[in-house]
Amino acid sequence: MPNGIDPRWAWAEYKPSAKSPWDRKKVGHLYRRAAFGATWDELETALKAGPQQTIDRLLKGGDGLDDFERRTDLLKKKIADANNAQQARAWWLYRMLYTPHPLREKMTLFWHNHFATSNAKVNNIGYMLGQYDLMYQHALGNFADHLQAMSKDPAMLIWLDTNISPRNKPNENYARELMELFSLGIGNYTEEDIREAARAFTGWRIRDGKGVFVPEEHDPGVKTVLGRTGKFKGEDIVRICLEQKSAPYFIAGKLYRFLISETEPADETLLEPLAEDFRRSNYDFGKLVARVLRSNLFFDPRSYRARVKAPVDFALGIVRGLEGHVPAKEKKGRLLGTPALATALQAMGQDLFHPPSVKGWDGGTAWLNGQTLLYRQNLALAMTSTTDPRFGSRLDPAFVAYHHGVERDEELVDFFLDLFLEGEVPPETRQNLLDYMQKSKKQPVPVFWTSRDAHQHRVRALCHLVLTQPEFQLD
Amino acid sequence: MNRRDFLRTSFAGGSMVSLGLTVPTFLTRTAWAAPTADRAGSKDTILVVVQLTGGNDGLNTVVPFRDENYAKLRPTLRIPTNRLHKVNDELGLHPSMQGLADLLQDQALCIVQGVGYPNPNQSHFRSMDIWHAASLDRELTEGWIGKALRQTPQTLAFHLADNNESSPLALAGAPRSVPSVTSLQDFQLRTNALSSAERAERTKIIEKAAQTSAGSKPSLLDFVKRTAVNTYESSKRLQEVAGNYQPKVPYPNTPLANRLRVAAQLIEAGMGARIFYVSIGGFDTHANQLNTHANLLAQLSGAMTAFYKDLAARGHKDRILMMTFSEFGRRPYENGSKGTDHGAAAPMLLVGGKVKAGVVGEHPSLVKNVIRGNMRHNIDFRQVYATILDNWLGIPSKDVLGQPFNHVDIF
Repeated sequence: MPNGIDPRWAWAEYKPSAKSPWDRKKVGHLYRRAAFGATWDELETALKAGPQQTIDRLLKGGDGLDDFERRTDLLKKKIADANNAQQARAWWLYRMLYTPHPLREKMTLFWHNHFATSNAKVNNIGYMLGQYDLMYQHALGNFADHLQAMSKDPAMLIWLDTNISPRNKPNENYARELMELFSLGIGNYTEEDIREAARAFTGWRIRDGKGVFVPEEHDPGVKTVLGRTGKFKGEDIVRICLEQKSAPYFIAGKLYRFLISETEPADETLLEPLAEDFRRSNYDFGKLVARVLRSNLFFDPRSYRARVKAPVDFALGIVRGLEGHVPAKEKKGRLLGTPALATALQAMGQDLFHPPSVKGWDGGTAWLNGQTLLYRQNLALAMTSTTDPRFGSRLDPAFVAYHHGVERDEELVDFFLDLFLEGEVPPETRQNLLDYMQKSKKQPVPVFWTSRDAHQHRVRALCHLVLTQPEFQLD
Repeated sequence: MNRRDFLRTSFAGGSMVSLGLTVPTFLTRTAWAAPTADRAGSKDTILVVVQLTGGNDGLNTVVPFRDENYAKLRPTLRIPTNRLHKVNDELGLHPSMQGLADLLQDQALCIVQGVGYPNPNQSHFRSMDIWHAASLDRELTEGWIGKALRQTPQTLAFHLADNNESSPLALAGAPRSVPSVTSLQDFQLRTNALSSAERAERTKIIEKAAQTSAGSKPSLLDFVKRTAVNTYESSKRLQEVAGNYQPKVPYPNTPLANRLRVAAQLIEAGMGARIFYVSIGGFDTHANQLNTHANLLAQLSGAMTAFYKDLAARGHKDRILMMTFSEFGRRPYENGSKGTDHGAAAPMLLVGGKVKAGVVGEHPSLVKNVIRGNMRHNIDFRQVYATILDNWLGIPSKDVLGQPFNHVDIF
């Protein structure tokens, strides 16, 4: 289906203009796609800084990354030793929330969905975290290196059976998914290519927790794969895949869906400048991400709310908006722990380190069905209420509003609408919320409550109502 | 007329319908009325589709123990003949499937042999889409059940979902989105209101938000609103039936059995639910498959048997039809990792009071006439769908499948 978008315009750098100004809508959009949502202060700062500086900062990450990585690495070793899947989920969410470099975490999540490996089969959290390290390392790095390394990654060797594929009767699992899901896409290879490539991938075993090549387990014969013939090994197959015309298009198309739009896949014409540049750069993925984030099409109205929020984005967007991640020393003990969050995400369908299949999460409209919508709305309630034991008083919309000096009803409605929805809602939505604030003043409250208690209850209810707006489901 | 008046009137009129912002079927009167015409599908027949995700090894599910090639091609994976539940002189059910073997004795199990489709695809995802859409077209956007529901818009359907499971393509294209339900307890919109008045007020705002006017073009926002309207209405109704359900027979404590138990509860609630969709995953047994597969088949057999017996004890025996399918079978010869790679033709299992008990169709040869080593199908899965649509659900299959298919002798 042709997108009917001029590719040269689409991928040229966005420059603010009278027609397309740098505004709250664009900042909120950028922070949702390239991070996990923004706080009020981040929105205000970015509005003043302009697109170039804001995107530079997102690409580079903030200060203190080394220190942050050191601290979380210590924790990671303990989790691996304990082989604790629940702690691993919470650990990654912690990193997403607290990292000075959210874009890198976000792209690691992109790769987790791309190389979708599940601990349900690997059954070794150390290996899963090792794979996480690999993806984090290459999150904004070189895709060719990434794909080569992934083919030898212990979690992947187990997940797709490379480690038990014998030379005389090869297992086709990895060869198939390498072509179908990791590099080329369906239709760009034959069943014969898979069978031959499977022979080339024989010989890999796990020794001392590492993928090693064992020559005597390898089928050294001549193979013919994708029109090339030789005594290929696994590395050769990866290289041959990356030489195919379809490879850069396949990856660029997936990134398009992740950063631009889920509503309509990009056609070849639209992807061409990205894909060809990606190929010429020898698969520099960071450069590709930067180009997409700076582009006209990224900031075009067509891309705004053109994705359904993944559960991670839904939940973390609330936590960040309500400043549940802001360090304790600045905001008195309101740090949010993540194990309960990890459990909530499982119910909403995004169980980290446990994607449903090797294809990853389908995303888009598949995220939302009756049950998951209700889980989302009820999680929003739990996060805006100070009585839910899971999140306790660590998230409190009333506190956040007060902190930013917002007290009057109309200001409160606009504050939460701006914070979470850039104020982009139909006028009747705003009116309904104003009406609610008016009516709720007359609602009975417990006799021992002060007027301040009653006010804060109304503020929390208001914030929940904002988060249950259909627009908030969109990314 | 001001803007708000305009919106109010357009909601009362056509735009609400065009957006599908209407209450779910089962809230309307007609859904409650029992069909009266004496024809197929008119007697409240129920279809439960059980998806085996990953490619079930049909050869070790229904084992052709007489075929010498079976033992030859499966040196480590063959099931010893003396452990099989004999179906006839040539075939036996996997030892894990005691329950289904009993149902065969009770004349409630039908095995359709060698089912597949032309030019079988070995990608999990493409092949699953083909089974869901019942079409070999390049672009597949609608499912066979979704299309069937268009022919019978009053029919109520449910997807009983696992936590990590999205709504299947098979249900896409339905006139109203089929609700996915994981837990009846959790299928409600909560507020932490201090009073019923406050609760009502807050619920009203949330519901109103889903009904505000959408843009003129169909968009993701429309989709969210449609889902929300359907969900809020469904949840109210489901809360009324969500009470304590006492099965007539014990269900195993497995995720599949738990989901089928919810299906039984919804059937018993008498709200007119007729189509259910459940999945069980883990069938992609490339390595060390013997134990994994045995466990999966035990879960499958245990859950299906409990569900059937529960409903039979409630007098619904002749209303029930369960149908299993998988995106493909597995290759007859095992690989070097004590597993099997993606194959083609495989059996489907049908359970119900009205099925023709026994085996339908020929077992495909393990070695002759194979396609790149994969068994060739004798029966197109769309023939099975067509028979179920025409003779069980009473929905003209040609309207769903786009062309006529010969029926299979399953009833």
